[in-house]
Amino acid sequence: MRSVVVALQPRRYSAPMQRLSARDSSADDRAWDAMMAAAQGGDAPSYHRLLSEVTAWLRRYYARRLPSAMIDDAIQDTLIAVHEKRHTYDPTRPFGAWLAAIARYKWIDALRSLNMKPTEPLDDDIPVPDHEEAITSARSIERLLATLKPVQSQVIRLVKLQGFSIEEASKATGQSAPLVKVNIHRGLKRLTSLLRSEPDAD
Amino acid sequence: MLTDPLIDRLTSELKPVRRRTAWSDALALVVLCAVEFGLFLLMGMMRFDMPMAMHLPSFWWKLGSLGLIGLVSGTVAILSLDPVRSPRRGLRWIAALIAVCLASGWLLDASRDGFLTLISRLDWVDGLQCLFEMVILSVPAVIGLGLLMRRGAPTDRAGTALAAGLTAAAWGAFVFVFACPFDDPLYVAVWYSLGCSAVTLFARFTLPRLTRW
Repeated sequence: MRSVVVALQPRRYSAPMQRLSARDSSADDRAWDAMMAAAQGGDAPSYHRLLSEVTAWLRRYYARRLPSAMIDDAIQDTLIAVHEKRHTYDPTRPFGAWLAAIARYKWIDALRSLNMKPTEPLDDDIPVPDHEEAITSARSIERLLATLKPVQSQVIRLVKLQGFSIEEASKATGQSAPLVKVNIHRGLKRLTSLLRSEPDAD
Repeated sequence: MLTDPLIDRLTSELKPVRRRTAWSDALALVVLCAVEFGLFLLMGMMRFDMPMAMHLPSFWWKLGSLGLIGLVSGTVAILSLDPVRSPRRGLRWIAALIAVCLASGWLLDASRDGFLTLISRLDWVDGLQCLFEMVILSVPAVIGLGLLMRRGAPTDRAGTALAAGLTAAAWGAFVFVFACPFDDPLYVAVWYSLGCSAVTLFARFTLPRLTRW
């Protein structure tokens, strides 16, 4: 009977928590648990400290998953979500897993928004302060693009990464403009579903 | 740091909160369903031949199947309101359960008078009316689960909405069993499935938009 009940329970997103625990000491994890429990009771200093520490973790989390221009927005969205949904945290369970699930949800949201935002050509003179993050992101993106059909990855590279217009990408690839749009849409949709199917894509 | 003013603002807005638990959500849903069922009985909507119907295996089949589907779906929907839980595995169990329920209904039906009278047994006019009433009876549960979804933090909104839709649909159909005078398994399998599908699809495509967080 117990096994049936366990089987019906939804799966937990455990992988991010395991990585979180591997990086931070269990004492830190317990401190976060306690700070969040105190914040639920209205303890503002604990909450302020918790959000500051969480921000540093979120910055590392998103740096490996999003283009650098989107990191701050993603962090802010996640902090607001943590604030609005703080009543859903159960103090008997690790705060890290709860935070990682919300961060992952907001990450997928950010990837979806890439599909909706218009793309503008970038100025060549933008300073890049941290090459390591950019290289890690670029490697992740290349690995993901390699899973798409060549016609899809080619136009995503041109329009979404290199900033060409639809017409320019159409001329460069020989695809019609509507086909370029369709291939971008389908490619990004496939990327999103790929990411959703992975428990945690590093 | 761009986030510092935000952290200050969020800290200044901090107020004590009442923790959400799966039990409190389940209790709220049970109370809502009990109120709806009470109103349904008070309005005299129960079928007049209930004592006779209680001797039919097909009556217990539809009541038991819908109750079980509603219970399992509700459990999956409520548990998935926690951000660390995904409803996917639960949805697979629900799909298997629905298949088992339909198969057992088919076994009951196979003992009847063959397949020649299938079309006449479907009874389109009454079937459409049943479907409409089932959908209406599902509305309170859809609204209740939608509110719980807004308050909760489902990270797989589509999956949770699907489980919520199945819960509401199964509940609506479960209540309707007490009013519906038709116990033919074929009729139940077709019209109840259509009614439940309509509610489930509505919830699947509407709730994720209304509960975005």
